[in-house]
Amino acid sequence: MTIEYEAVIGLETHIQLNTLTKIFCSCKADSWNDPPNTNICPVCTGLPGVLPVLNKAAVEKAMLLAAAMNAEIQPISYFDRKNYFYPDLPKGYQISQYNLPIARGGYLVFPMPDGTERKVTIHKMHLEEDAGKTKNDFGRRLIDFNRCGVPLVEMVTGPDLHSADEAAQYILRLRQLLRWIGVSEADMEKGHLRCDANVSIRPKGTSILNPKTEIKNVNSIVAIRESIQTEVQRQIREVQAGHPIESWTLEWDEESGILRKMRSKETEADYRYFREPDLLSLEIDEQWKNEVLSTLPELPLQRRARFVAQYGLPVYDADILTTERSLSEYYEAALSAYQGDPKRVSNWIINDLLRILNDLAISAVELKITPTYLAQIIRMVDDGTINNTTAKALLDKVQSSGKEPAAIVSEEGLAKVSDAEALERLIAQLITDNPEQVANYRKGKTGLLGWFVGQVMKQTQGKADAQLARSILEKYLAE
Amino acid sequence: MITPELFDHLVELAALELSPPEAEYLRQQLNQQLKALQELVAIPVQASIPPALHGVSYTAEIRPPIREDEWIPSPYAEAILNQAPEVDERYIVVPDIPHQDLE
Amino acid sequence: MDLCDYAAYQLVWMIKRKQVSACEVLESTLRRINAVDGMPGQIEGDRNAEPDKIHAFISLTAERARRQAQQIDQAIQAGEEVGPLAGVPFTVKDIFCVADTLSTAGSKILSNFVAPYTATPVARVEQAGGILLGKVNLDEFTFGSSNESSAFQPSPRNPWNTSRVPGGSSGGSAAAVAAGEGCLSIGTDTAGSIRQPAAFCGVVGVKPTYGRVSRYGLIAFGSSLDCPGPLARNVSDAALLLQIMSGVDPHDSTTANLPVPDYVTDLEKPIKGMRIGLSPDYFRITYVDAESGELDQQPIPDDYRQAIYRVAGRLAEMGADIVEEIPMPHTKYSIPAYFVISRVEAASNLHRYDGVKYGYRTQQAVNDLREMYRKTRGEGFGLQPKLRILMGMYVSAAQYSEQYYLRALRVRTLIRRDFEVIFDPNGKYRLHALLTPTTPTTAFPIAQVYGDSVLMQFADQLTVAANHAGLPALSFPCGFDSEGLPFGAQLIGPDFSEDQLLRLARNYELVTESDQWRKRLPPILRNV
Repeated sequence: MTIEYEAVIGLETHIQLNTLTKIFCSCKADSWNDPPNTNICPVCTGLPGVLPVLNKAAVEKAMLLAAAMNAEIQPISYFDRKNYFYPDLPKGYQISQYNLPIARGGYLVFPMPDGTERKVTIHKMHLEEDAGKTKNDFGRRLIDFNRCGVPLVEMVTGPDLHSADEAAQYILRLRQLLRWIGVSEADMEKGHLRCDANVSIRPKGTSILNPKTEIKNVNSIVAIRESIQTEVQRQIREVQAGHPIESWTLEWDEESGILRKMRSKETEADYRYFREPDLLSLEIDEQWKNEVLSTLPELPLQRRARFVAQYGLPVYDADILTTERSLSEYYEAALSAYQGDPKRVSNWIINDLLRILNDLAISAVELKITPTYLAQIIRMVDDGTINNTTAKALLDKVQSSGKEPAAIVSEEGLAKVSDAEALERLIAQLITDNPEQVANYRKGKTGLLGWFVGQVMKQTQGKADAQLARSILEKYLAE
Repeated sequence: MITPELFDHLVELAALELSPPEAEYLRQQLNQQLKALQELVAIPVQASIPPALHGVSYTAEIRPPIREDEWIPSPYAEAILNQAPEVDERYIVVPDIPHQDLE
Repeated sequence: MDLCDYAAYQLVWMIKRKQVSACEVLESTLRRINAVDGMPGQIEGDRNAEPDKIHAFISLTAERARRQAQQIDQAIQAGEEVGPLAGVPFTVKDIFCVADTLSTAGSKILSNFVAPYTATPVARVEQAGGILLGKVNLDEFTFGSSNESSAFQPSPRNPWNTSRVPGGSSGGSAAAVAAGEGCLSIGTDTAGSIRQPAAFCGVVGVKPTYGRVSRYGLIAFGSSLDCPGPLARNVSDAALLLQIMSGVDPHDSTTANLPVPDYVTDLEKPIKGMRIGLSPDYFRITYVDAESGELDQQPIPDDYRQAIYRVAGRLAEMGADIVEEIPMPHTKYSIPAYFVISRVEAASNLHRYDGVKYGYRTQQAVNDLREMYRKTRGEGFGLQPKLRILMGMYVSAAQYSEQYYLRALRVRTLIRRDFEVIFDPNGKYRLHALLTPTTPTTAFPIAQVYGDSVLMQFADQLTVAANHAGLPALSFPCGFDSEGLPFGAQLIGPDFSEDQLLRLARNYELVTESDQWRKRLPPILRNV
């Protein structure tokens, strides 16, 4: 009998906060386009004699994240030193938080694509400094300290995830949340959101915790899925072959799709954590906390649920409209300007606006088509001023010119030609000019009606009221 | 008592290469110091006594204000690199870190 | 008496009035250094070379000093405003980073390190017009009480008797000041490293309240204990220097955001009614017997005790109230608690010296990074840092941390509470200061204690409690023993009471101004 296994996965995420400066010095935090070792100073390179000075913005962003993750912000927390040697760690210790961190507890409930929900608990959440970057170069290591001291929140989940897909889904929702509340750019490609996965397996239905491996460096949604799948299968193979799973640290090589074993890990005891004497305790009083948390917006999954409940949107629509905070805000602003069917506004955004956003690679706030303009365009379609084709073209015109839609319609004469007399004149001419088609129609090729409508639309540059044109044509062709 | 095994573990953690006479002297001195520490271990200390991170108590009145998020470019990047034993195209260079591929 | 023997406050007065130039003062000081200092300490240097010289310096930066002095003179000639230390030559313990100078910490591992930036207290003194003469020697990374552990040899000797240690770890600072090699020096005090050498060399040394002076740029030893402070030949100069060094620093978030009082103006205000305590716990020393590990108590030498009681008598003459039998029950735990706290912090602070970013990297071929670390650190650190690293590793390991480290932090609270009781303005004792001997003995002979790390540590027994408690303390000379070695008296006061301690010490100077012992000069200066 073969045993069926399930994966037990905990994710350790490192979230770079998008502050302007580093957590303990006044160097610029973002070095994406800068040459190596340029955004460095004595403090972040650990020169002898330097001292850390805490960045207020890093604390405030950590507070927002803690609140968004349903964690409890602590009135007093401490920084500690985590001691180990690594060339990207210039002081030989990382300033982190150990037993009294800025937040305690926390959880995230998130939907799976099949509509079921998962709840992930947060084991640990604390503030710390990022290390530098090292890279291999033919038997030597090259070190860049630009990243040293970028503020991080380390967030560790409980072993609550049971498949590579669940892990990937959690990260997707976390990324959405981070951007939504504005604490991190959360661009995995740029390392703003990094993930290590603790993976073990157990026979399905049991609740034991087996030795786990830690996969470092899984820094894309694809990598999370693939590396965890690969490791789960490796562990199953090992166990089935009768080999024990050892607590290795593995490195995921995204390009070749293989796992590498890294140096044996120091145990927790060997880090010799102790209070950082160079920093005072971090004290967050009620006033400061309230001030910061008053800026916390409605969260994405709450808004998604509200869109379903309040506007009767399908979950599919609500999900798309809440991908980004600015899009969801755009939707509600457009809806309030439109004062009509919520689904109709949603359709316009999902079918047409998203294309523009994608083509221009911009976010909803950057659109020149303001929510009011979109509402105006939908209204003009509703009251028959313009037809759908015109409306879609109009969107692009508004986006490129920034002009009010109604103004463009009147300037360019885009309103539907629904003047029956004008249409009749045009159609009479059309009948005269196309005796062959008229004859064919009258012999019974009634499908040609579409061709005639097309001609009318062509001559009116699409502005003709197609319904009206059709009935006039039928009348003339019948004669 | 710091045994030779424990001593070797500490030396490895500390990333120190020691000559045999050095190691012998250091282990003997460590054990002397441990004797001096026995007094500390013997002091009756109630758990209600809070540990003091600093002697001075930092009341709200004397704490310096927390740093605002303002960028001050450092003038020292080049001077810092100049101190490194080996640099190549602005990277600091060190010997490799061993690792092993898994199938 | 040469220009270099004048007090700093006198020199500033004369320089500002163009009676002498900063350059003349500097040249006088450089002549003195040339006459008494001998060869500077160097890596692999001969420990016993020139045994009749002082060897205070690691690096003398004469040209840099000349440029600074010229600038001061030019500014004065041009009628520009100059700082309160204009033209005063000073030295800096080589534990501070000073831009473009070797900043070695007395260690091989930093023997080639040129700091890109300047420590805040040093920068403030330079800003105030002080002329930096150079960097003076110390115990390696300040780990010691005799200066013998410096990797730069020969290490400093005591100007009062060059066969004696100058004390440590700010031994170079104290010896330089005592010998007229600069009127002022900036030192650091983690367990007594300013006060003990000040006492041994017969000068004034102040360990300020923790947080009074920025530690930015001070190469860290025990970060929760380290305090930069002034050494000077007299109380007024110490006050002048402390005034400049003190105050909140945006680079050090443990500096206190408190205005700095005027230390200088009120120095000579009367001390009538101030309450000075004497504690029996500060007139006996607790030793650990090397063989048995048993504790042994000994009174401090009788002549030293009498010297301190004479100080109390003179202060009483000035109107101070002397209160005896002050209980300080936890003082005796200071050393064991210090063994733990300072080692944990030191081991961590020394992690960064790994041959990657700066300083020494092994010259041997290595196979991998870890080997590079081991060889670099093995070759670069002397025995004292290695000992502290290993001890720190041991007592902070997770399984021992509760037993040692956390307990030591709790004992620190107990030590602090002793002081809170005696300084409580509404309490039983209501003291303004505790008066104690600074050290258990006067300066001991070179090579007598070195090598026994436990015995050496006990040299700090009377000073380290103030570091645990964060309190300000000051050592000032108060006479000589029968061998002509200085006694040091220590005053410890409540948080941020440096002004009171300086005032008490200055009043003592005033009342003893015409004492015979005040006229003595270090023998090494008799023939210059």
